[in-house]
Formats: sequence, C-alpha cells, structure tokens
Amino acid sequence: MPKPRETVLIVEDDILCAMVIRDELQDAGYRVLDLTSRRDEALAAARANPPDIALVNIQLHGHDDGIALSADLKLLGIPVLLISGQVNRARSAQSVAIGSLPKPYSPADAVRAVDYLIGRLAGNQALEPPLGLEVFASIDDGLDDAA
Amino acid sequence: MASLAPDDPDPTLSLLMAVIGSSPAPLLLLDGEFMTVAASASFCETFGVAPALVLGARLLDLGDGEWNVPQLRSLLIATASGSAAIDSYEMDLVRPGHESRCLIVQPKRLDYADADHPRLLVAISDVTEIRATEKAKDEALARNSILLQEVRHRVANSLQIIASVLLQTARRVQSEEARGHLKDAHLRVMSVAALERLLSTTSEKNEDVEIHAYFARLCDSIAASMIGADDPISLQVTGGVGVVASRVSISLGLIVTELVINALKHAFPHGRGGGITVEFEVRGPNWRLDVGDNGVGIPLDPALVHTGLGTSIVQALAKQLEASVELERRSPGTNVCIQHTQIALVEDDRIPKARAAGAILLGS
Repeated sequence: MPKPRETVLIVEDDILCAMVIRDELQDAGYRVLDLTSRRDEALAAARANPPDIALVNIQLHGHDDGIALSADLKLLGIPVLLISGQVNRARSAQSVAIGSLPKPYSPADAVRAVDYLIGRLAGNQALEPPLGLEVFASIDDGLDDAA
Repeated sequence: MASLAPDDPDPTLSLLMAVIGSSPAPLLLLDGEFMTVAASASFCETFGVAPALVLGARLLDLGDGEWNVPQLRSLLIATASGSAAIDSYEMDLVRPGHESRCLIVQPKRLDYADADHPRLLVAISDVTEIRATEKAKDEALARNSILLQEVRHRVANSLQIIASVLLQTARRVQSEEARGHLKDAHLRVMSVAALERLLSTTSEKNEDVEIHAYFARLCDSIAASMIGADDPISLQVTGGVGVVASRVSISLGLIVTELVINALKHAFPHGRGGGITVEFEVRGPNWRLDVGDNGVGIPLDPALVHTGLGTSIVQALAKQLEASVELERRSPGTNVCIQHTQIALVEDDRIPKARAAGAILLGS
C-alpha cells in the first residue's frame, strides 16, 4: 500500500454526492475522514484529526451553515473549498474559503480541484486551475490569522 | 379678451370657465404669473382645496405649500417662455394628514391671439394606483425570477444526486460493459445538470445560454472523467461565440456529450494520440455544430460500424432540432456536422450542396 496522501474532510448534507467524492478521492490516494453533514461533528473531527483541506457544502444538516463552519475551520488553520450550487453565497464567503467548486461537478472535477488547491497551498504557483473551480484571492493569504 | 377674471361677464370666457370647470380630470388655467384663472371642480375635490381659495391664487401657493416644488416651478417657467425641454413632471404631492399621491403634471402654453398674456393649461393625472400596480408587478416578477432560479438550483442538485448514484453503481458492477454504460449515463445526466446550474445563475428574462461557456464546462467535465492523465488525447472547444435558447442548448449539450464520448471510445484505440474539437457557429437563426477528431476513422466496411444508443440519441435530438446530421470521413479522422438551417443565406458557402441520406454514425 502506498502511503496515503493528504487528508480531506467532506462536510455535505447530500450523502450520495459525498460518497462518490469520497470514493474518487480515496482512489486518487487521499485519506478521507468520516463523512458528516453537521457543523459540530465536522469541527470535532477537524480538531481530532486536522485535515489538509475541507470540502464544505453551504447547506448542511438542519440549519447548520457551511459558511459559518468555514469560518470556524479557518480559525483552526484548515483551508476550505466550498462545494455548493449557491454560487453567489459562495463568492460572498471569500474571506473564509480559498475557493468554490459549484455544483454540479463530477467526482473527477472534485479530485482535480483538490489536487490543484493542495498544490497551490504547498506553494506551487505554476499550476493551472481546472475549469469550473473558482480560486479566491485568500488562498495566498497563507491563512494569516490561523492558529 | 381683456381679462380672464372669474366675474367677467364675457360669454366666451364664461364658456371657457364652464369647460375647464367641468373637466373630469383635474385641470387648471394659469396666467403668466401662474395665478389660477380657472380650475376644474375635480381639481378642488381631488386635492382638497376650496374653489374660492383656488381662483386668483398662485398654483405654487395653494394648500400648505405642497405644490411649491422647485422642479414644478422650473417647468412652469420654461413652458411659459416656450423653452421647456420636457412636457411633464412626475411629483409626489405630500399633504399633512393625507397619503402621498404620485402626480403627473403636464403644463401646455396656449397658442392664442393675445401673445402678451401667456396662459398655461395644466393637466394633472393622479398615477398613484398605476405606479403601485406597476411596483407590485415588478416585485411579483422579481419573486418569480428568484423562485425559478431556486427551482433550477434544486433541479441541478437533484440531477447531481442521480448522477452520483449512477457513478456509485458503476463502481460496484463487475461487468466492464455495464460499467461503461453507467458512466455514459452519468455524463448524460451531468450534461443536463450543468445547463440547469448555468440557467439558475442567470436572470429569468434571459433564457439564452452562452454556448461556448457551456460546451467548455461540459467538455472539461467529460475530459476529467474519461481522459486519463497519461492519455495523449486533447479535447478542445472552439468558436461558439453567441447565445442559444435554453431548450436548444439542452439538446446540443447532449449531442456534444454523445459525440465526444463516441470519439473518445472509438477514435483512439491502443493508446493512439490525437485531438477532438468541438466547434459551434451561429449565424442569425442558423447554427452548425461540428465534432471532429483526427483518430482512426470509421471502418469502410459498414458491418463493422457500431450503432448504439449514442447514435439514436444524436439522430433523435437532431431531428427534434430540425437539424441535419452528416458524417464526413477525413484523413485522418472523422467529423460529424449537425446543422440547422432556418433561413438559407446566399453567402453561406458552408451549407452543403446535397444532404447525405441517412448519415451513419459510430455507435457509442
């Protein structure tokens, strides 16, 4: 078994979408934490086992909000990619997320987006962002106010 | 006429006063100083001023000064001097103890024998209810637009769920053929989902789809799913500047999906490299879609040509779009042209001279 690559947290209220993204990311070698659609569970998982990136939908379980969760994750130093069809709300959250991959995306799109963002966060500026992925300027902030 | 005082016994003046006085719509006759010479009873009733206080008073001084609006004064001065650039002014009449009314004031300088004594006829329409109705209508349209976008957003999400299920199933089936079919089905659903998402972010008045952006997104997604990192195959979208109605776009997206899947499956066997191009051109009501590749080409022996679901889908959608389907053998490769010609343009040399009867397509 090759050594697992970076760890990804997926927070998504649509379990079927979350499952296919998880499978595709695992096939690509990523380690994926347990799926959740709740803000408190996601935060507990992130504290227990900090992921390298979190994929967060805006609409979560009940009234849980993905943008609020993104702000919490940013404080923990975890970069967030928003995965939501609510394009305008995602754009309004540029201070707490590093990018947005609007639905619908295929699992392969999600893997390419994660590959790109992990590369960029590691300092690789030469990468071309895949089509469909919106990269926010905050990706270059180096998560200044992170822990 | 020597004077237009209300107590003037002149019968012509008396008739004029009676005409203005009985106007069902609020109407005033002003002199050059904007003093009221005559007023309709409807004006006094509508704006709550006693007739005795209206006659001989300046319009701008009526009531509690609610008519003393700088823009109205400017319009009256300009109209009296014959230099008014606009012929009406919409104002809010705000009176204590009354609801604000939206009025359109239209002064006209009367063209008559006595040029030394200008007279203005001022018609006033109360458009409060009309404006309120217009506002309600605009708000209803805006609400509908938001609802429509929300519906499209939900449709796109639902389609994504269906696509996810198809892909989950594809991962679990043993048969390679079944897996291929399920992955194709996933791409077809995603093609429709991508369009719904695109429409969910545009306004309701604009049902047109920017075709290049749509095809580029679509092809990128297909490439991500079907072209491996080591496969020497490129997929490019060219041209396509223009917009197409959403109902046409949905079919075009499905056709592109089928043709690209088809080319990826059959044109580049055994690790052969090459490129696929998707080109779209709009000329007025006419359009033309070309999906071409520089792969191995179609077998010359018709028995070896596959016809599958993809072929039927392309043929059916093209028929629905009233478009022809033509297949051209290239060296190397293949080009499929889907063309809709609503109006034959004389200078359009790209319209084929003769249509192939029953074009053949590779099956997916």
